[in-house]
Amino acid sequence: MVALARKTLVYEWRRFLPAILAVGFAGLLQLLQLALVLGIFGSTSMYITGSSADVWVGYPGTQSVGSGRSIDADVESRILMDPAVTRVEPYIWVDGDWRGPRETGGVSVFVSGIDTATDGMMFSRVLSPALRARLDEPDAIVVDRSALDQLGVGIGQTATINGHQVHVVGIGSGLRALGGVNVLCSLDTARRLDSDAEDVGPTYLVAKLRHPNEARAVARRLRGDQAFGPYTAWSARDFARLSVLYWLFDTGAGAGVLFLAGIVFLVGAVITSQTLIAAVNGSVREYATLNALGVGVAALRRVVLEQAFWVGTLGLLGASVLGIVLMLLARSQDVPVILNVPAALACIILVMGLAAVSGLAAMRSLRRADPATLLR
Amino acid sequence: MHRPASIAVTDQPALRAIGVSKAFVSGHLRTQVLDDLTLDIEAGELTLISGPSGCGKSTLLSILSGLQKIDSGSVQALGSELGQLDLRALERFRLEHTGFVFQGFNLFPALSAFEQVELPLNHMGLTRDEARRRARLSLEEVGLAHRMRLRPAELSGGEKQRVAIARALAKEPQLLFADEPTSALDAANGQMIIDLLHRIAVTHGTTVLCVSHDPRLVMHADRVLAMEDGHILSDRRPAAPAIDSHGTPS
Repeated sequence: MVALARKTLVYEWRRFLPAILAVGFAGLLQLLQLALVLGIFGSTSMYITGSSADVWVGYPGTQSVGSGRSIDADVESRILMDPAVTRVEPYIWVDGDWRGPRETGGVSVFVSGIDTATDGMMFSRVLSPALRARLDEPDAIVVDRSALDQLGVGIGQTATINGHQVHVVGIGSGLRALGGVNVLCSLDTARRLDSDAEDVGPTYLVAKLRHPNEARAVARRLRGDQAFGPYTAWSARDFARLSVLYWLFDTGAGAGVLFLAGIVFLVGAVITSQTLIAAVNGSVREYATLNALGVGVAALRRVVLEQAFWVGTLGLLGASVLGIVLMLLARSQDVPVILNVPAALACIILVMGLAAVSGLAAMRSLRRADPATLLR
Repeated sequence: MHRPASIAVTDQPALRAIGVSKAFVSGHLRTQVLDDLTLDIEAGELTLISGPSGCGKSTLLSILSGLQKIDSGSVQALGSELGQLDLRALERFRLEHTGFVFQGFNLFPALSAFEQVELPLNHMGLTRDEARRRARLSLEEVGLAHRMRLRPAELSGGEKQRVAIARALAKEPQLLFADEPTSALDAANGQMIIDLLHRIAVTHGTTVLCVSHDPRLVMHADRVLAMEDGHILSDRRPAAPAIDSHGTPS
């Protein structure tokens, strides 16, 4: 088979370049925006992804980690009864009002009360064992390095949260929060800082499983029982996704991503289809001759569609290379960018969809390839 | 490349038009291009339709080759009633039986001469080897064996038209239609193309129908039809049927 589509693309690359660039930049734009948004909003699930728990148990209908309600502490024994569970620990979330030693005004803080045992699951991936041990001290807290200025404290200094005095015993990293500042302390300290009389139990119970890959099935199993009051269970992965999605759509960032995707698709498709149409028009007499010789219109359409496919592929390739370079650059500058498989896949689908739509649009101009017009 | 004579030599004419009328409507203006035209084209001959521009000769060619529908009458090609074939069946008919040579050469700039010829063969259901064999033979027949790796930009006008002829010839069609095949060429190249077309009719038994106002072609044709205003004015056979003066490499 003579590879007409590919040979034409190579020989007349200048003609196809605008389409390849349009597709490439459309892909790149979308890729970087997604990576940025995921990077920024990924921190809202840091509580889950930074911890080693496999299953999370919390109040039904909880939309993100930061919006939990307390559940009955006795649920813990119910969870432990499940043969798949090896360990359970409570996690207390308290919204606090921070008053620092310096003039910072009130700062909204998210207090995380965690199990300080050396094998504690909460923040096990971001909190060093030494720092964790220091939290055993009553009213001791650890904050993220990036929040020190915001809180107006240094190590060893004291401040108040909800009117209770706390002192900073350590400084961690990777504990950044969105819309507030994370403060880590022991479960006991957290209970003291909680001013809400209605909060009697922990906000969450987190569990470790014998086989982490069963998380989803175990979570489903734990959900069924209502004996200890309202609670529900998620696998850590599902809960992390829930949190990120909540932020994405609650803040309108998700709508922004979708909006840009629409714009990118539209602009990309217009440029690409115009380029492909021009390419078809440039060869319309040759196509008409092939049709006169009996090569069917369907076969000619395939040629156009194949060209669109190659334009999409080449654009994607360029976008990938540039995207990786730019993401590495962003990482080196501490710009939070995260790209996961679904996001990358979404970009690929967007770009190839754009190319396909453009190809379909260009196919229409094949109607001008009527061999009768060659005989005039 | 020799076609069995049984296909070319039959009692039936290769092409037959009966009472064919065709008009073009442009706005309120209706132009009658062909008016109740009846015509037989014999198989295995080079038939030339000549006449001034606008006389309807190209329209007649496109109707006889199934590229255009008629208003009334009937057209038979190789015994098939073209009016009864739908678009796909017409494509199929053209794929199996017809070759075309146009005034413009209409070659893909990206393809070599060899690929130009091979491309339509790919769609005929031939094996790759058979398609390539035919493409090579066909290019050899038009004298371009040494130029078949070149792209159109590297070929002269005459060579391009020979590639276009090879492209049509490689399909081994029973019908070969040529529309003003020499008008874009100089005298020497034009002469070469005429010789080629005539040789194809003689050696392959192909029915060659050529439309041209080029007077040089007349002496090479087996039969010359003069057209004017949608009618055939004269139908004659030049006294001495032109024997290929350049020798036939058969």
